[in-house]
Amino acid sequence: MPLRKAKQKQERFTPFLFLSPAILFFCCFILFPLIGAFGYSLITWDFFTQPKFVGLDNYGKLFKDPIALEAVKNTFIFTIASIVTHVGLGLILAVAVNRRIPKFFAYIIRTVFFFPFLLSWSATSIIWSFGLDPTFGVIDFYAGKVGFPQATLISSTWALPTLIMIDLWKTLGFAFIVILAGIQAIPSEISEAARVDGASGLRLFWNITFPLCTPAIFFVSVTAFIGAFQIFEPMYIMTRGGPDNATLSIVQYLHMSAFRNFDIGYGAVISVAIFIVVLIVTLTQFKFAKRWVHEG
Amino acid sequence: MTDKNVTETLPEKSVFSRRTVLKSAGIGAAGITTAAALAACSKKDDGPKDLDAATVSFVFNGSADQAKSWDALFAGFKEKYPQIDFTAQAIPSASWAEYADTVAVQLAGGAKYDVLNLATEGALLFADKGVVLALDDLIARDQEEMDIALADTHPRLVEFGKKYGPQDGKTYYIPSGGMNCMAAWVNKDVFAKAGLELPTDDWTWDDFLAAGRTIKKKTGAFMFPVTAEYFVGIMPWLTTNGASTMNEDWTVATCDTPQAIEAAEFARQLVVEKLSPAPGGTFDRFELGIKGDLAVFGGGRWPVLAVRAANAVDKYEIFDFPHKGANRGSPVGWAAFPIMKSSPNVDAAWEFVKYLSTSSGATVFATSGGTASPCLKSVAESQDYLADSPVGTEKLYKALDYATAIPSPTKGNLTQRTIEDVWGQIIAGNIKPDAGMKKMQEEVTKLL
Repeated sequence: MPLRKAKQKQERFTPFLFLSPAILFFCCFILFPLIGAFGYSLITWDFFTQPKFVGLDNYGKLFKDPIALEAVKNTFIFTIASIVTHVGLGLILAVAVNRRIPKFFAYIIRTVFFFPFLLSWSATSIIWSFGLDPTFGVIDFYAGKVGFPQATLISSTWALPTLIMIDLWKTLGFAFIVILAGIQAIPSEISEAARVDGASGLRLFWNITFPLCTPAIFFVSVTAFIGAFQIFEPMYIMTRGGPDNATLSIVQYLHMSAFRNFDIGYGAVISVAIFIVVLIVTLTQFKFAKRWVHEG
Repeated sequence: MTDKNVTETLPEKSVFSRRTVLKSAGIGAAGITTAAALAACSKKDDGPKDLDAATVSFVFNGSADQAKSWDALFAGFKEKYPQIDFTAQAIPSASWAEYADTVAVQLAGGAKYDVLNLATEGALLFADKGVVLALDDLIARDQEEMDIALADTHPRLVEFGKKYGPQDGKTYYIPSGGMNCMAAWVNKDVFAKAGLELPTDDWTWDDFLAAGRTIKKKTGAFMFPVTAEYFVGIMPWLTTNGASTMNEDWTVATCDTPQAIEAAEFARQLVVEKLSPAPGGTFDRFELGIKGDLAVFGGGRWPVLAVRAANAVDKYEIFDFPHKGANRGSPVGWAAFPIMKSSPNVDAAWEFVKYLSTSSGATVFATSGGTASPCLKSVAESQDYLADSPVGTEKLYKALDYATAIPSPTKGNLTQRTIEDVWGQIIAGNIKPDAGMKKMQEEVTKLL
């Protein structure tokens, strides 16, 4: 009997043992920092002098800060553009590649679009900075030749659209591959049956392909939102948030507040605000997903 | 871009107490010859000290292309003090302000350093946070040695150190760790190709513009890279028109004076006439210059590393920055090596600071090219510094006579970002110079 009890106890404990690395990771890198951020948001501290408890004062400051509001606006523009372009173009590419084109070309297209995703944001930013150099940049030169604006990174009008375009170049491959996988997971007999029934290509897309790959599209839209809302590196490296804060993202502003202005409490408030926005939007996405995402 | 920025503003400021400064003033009055002789004596005295084994960790702003120069400096110290286990941590940064921020964050995160390399942009910040050690007792302990170094230091640096350092009567920074003024590095080949005589130190903005137009027409080369870098790209134009971003005390913004606006207009004109590569680029000015596609670039001592590496020392001659009317000008930034209050190895750290601040370290740094001009006159006039360097290198030190300390208030990192952002918009044509400088004035005022 005692042996059986011990075994039962062990069985109850075993799953937690397997989960422990993930739990440890989650606690160290997500839960504890999150709790810490909430704690820091209630104090004023500059790293070196004694912290002072200020309650919710830092939160009040956030809503009156015009630069923070500008950063929020930029970030939402960037994020919405990112979701729309990634889902739209990713879907178009996936459908195109899924059609009966030679395998070799499909392979080339997949590789070409996915490769930039493997680059770090730092490398991407440096490459594009060179390419967009207004005097010596190859991309800037040819953009001018075909009528696109030049010197875009120093234009308060074009800097943000340029960063949106660079983000698309870098991460479209991920959206494309995920949606392509979703399309390829659709059982071929469904499409074939529709064709036998005389469905046109467009009808096939709207009634079969699109509905059945909505789980992949949903996944892409959620990850695109979370990634885009936390964008930092290209702004930091390529434009420093300028010109005139035109590309300042909210995470970059967090960095500026905490690590340039040494206002840790205020930086923590921004991080908490980012967490809340991401949480609310993601939960909303999940809530509305029931209305349009096909549950296989 | 990194190259230029990393080296751009140079090391920092120092602060001597009134007592020390007054004492040194008397010694300084003894004259340059005496000072040089004393410096030579100090060199002789620089033998290994009776120090116990200790560890000194040092953090500095340095990039890979400067590593050789720094390594030479460290090797000199290790040779002199073999019993000290010395470690150095390089932080390559886009600017001195950014470097100071990075170090501050590292310190807050628990990093332990004994000695810091700080530039003007950052000195007030660290003193304000109370993390650096007052050096008065250590200076008093080695008064003779420090007096010799101080007497050899350019008096304006001593004055700046006192004026712009923390005003609590204590000495945190010794103003003899290196400095940089801005001058014009002129590519002689480009001027010759355009059929132009080399300029003189009295050249004006009009002369500069005329030369640029001729060079553009006859060779296709750019005259000068107009950029939005505080020390390298903005302050030279302001100071050569008698302007600056702030008043002498760094308490009031002065960005919208007629002279400052005129400087911005001139910089924009250089861009409009395509005498400068378009702003916002990532080109390497040294590479462009050495290739002959750029007639002039601005710099202090640091370009010598790139010029030497390309065997192009003879291609260049250094002149004072062109100025408007009689307003000869340049910004100056200087280096300091404060000891951290938390250092458990103050004695060993002090030996390192002394090594860096006196002729022994300054000579090694000068010989290897370094990233800064020496603060010590004896070294600045020596062949250690002048050899294998372009003709006119001595002007980098002489510019101290008329240079303006780079305005770096406690929130200097933020004012610098604002100034650079607005100037960038002006030279890019996003905003008119007068409106831009007024905007800069408003933004900087908010931060002071």
